[in-house]
Amino acid sequence: MSAPFHPDYNPLILKLESIFDLTDEERQALEKLPMQVQVIKADQDIVREGDRPSRSCLLLSGFTCVYKITAGGKRQIVSFNIPGDIPDLQSLHLKVLDNSVATISQCRVGFITHDDLRDLCNRYPRITSAFWRETLIEAAIFREWVTNVGRREGVSRMAHVLCELLVRLKAVGLVEDHACDLPITQSEFADALGFTTVHVNRVLQQMRAEGLIVTQGTRLTIPDWDRLKQVGEFDPTYLHLKSDQAAA
Amino acid sequence: MSLTLQPIRVATGFDEEGMLVLDEEQRLLAVLTHLSDQYDGLSGHWYLEAKFGVLEGLGQPTYPDLDAAKEAIAQHLARRR
Repeated sequence: MSAPFHPDYNPLILKLESIFDLTDEERQALEKLPMQVQVIKADQDIVREGDRPSRSCLLLSGFTCVYKITAGGKRQIVSFNIPGDIPDLQSLHLKVLDNSVATISQCRVGFITHDDLRDLCNRYPRITSAFWRETLIEAAIFREWVTNVGRREGVSRMAHVLCELLVRLKAVGLVEDHACDLPITQSEFADALGFTTVHVNRVLQQMRAEGLIVTQGTRLTIPDWDRLKQVGEFDPTYLHLKSDQAAA
Repeated sequence: MSLTLQPIRVATGFDEEGMLVLDEEQRLLAVLTHLSDQYDGLSGHWYLEAKFGVLEGLGQPTYPDLDAAKEAIAQHLARRR
């Protein structure tokens, strides 16, 4: 399923509602949040380490990643972002960005000024709480990634990340029958998982051979969700979703 | 530094052959795998499958042929001295 472009589709609201109860008034305030929408092609930086942004970007469609680069030029992707995420929300409070954000696929991005975000938070303190909760969950995801990249191997490491992506995508309505659009390349998975592209290639081949995944272009299907969860030692508790959406 | 190569089969889970890379004193430096035809642009290249302590910092590159692999490993060792 490609990302919906229906004007009623607001991934930010879907995402916040997956972790927080919003009132009608709060939902309306989020719907009216002014944003400058821009289409950005794949593999472009949206913000860079060292920037001092005066706005944050809400991902409306497509995939982005947060990354850092070593002195030797090696890239580590520290998270994948999906519609509904605001990958540089921290710049609202932390003035200098300590990471970069780049598009993986073509993206629709809504830029929201920090003034408007501050105004929203001042008028709706519960929305501030929702953003806080969202930020805490993001920290939980980083802890899980450190554990995953540091301690799980090959197929298990990849399976864990695929489980997480599927559950997060489901929360914003982008999964249907355990299938989703996943435009992440082998080289991007390598940079995220600390593998080489050769290793990613072998892991995916093995997962296909074992029937853990089915891929067709950028379309990913999980034929046996319970088995993938088991292989990836995936326990969705750290995503702190309100409901049983974690069943994916 | 003169490096020697010894053919070896590598249990990558795929049908792949490889080379042991040894230094002048027959110490094992690395294992190179000749990539089979499943890797698109990298098929046929030599992949630094495994390496030992003195090659730390070399990463895990692929090389278009064995001469390029030997050259890169020798250069890394020379810089280390």
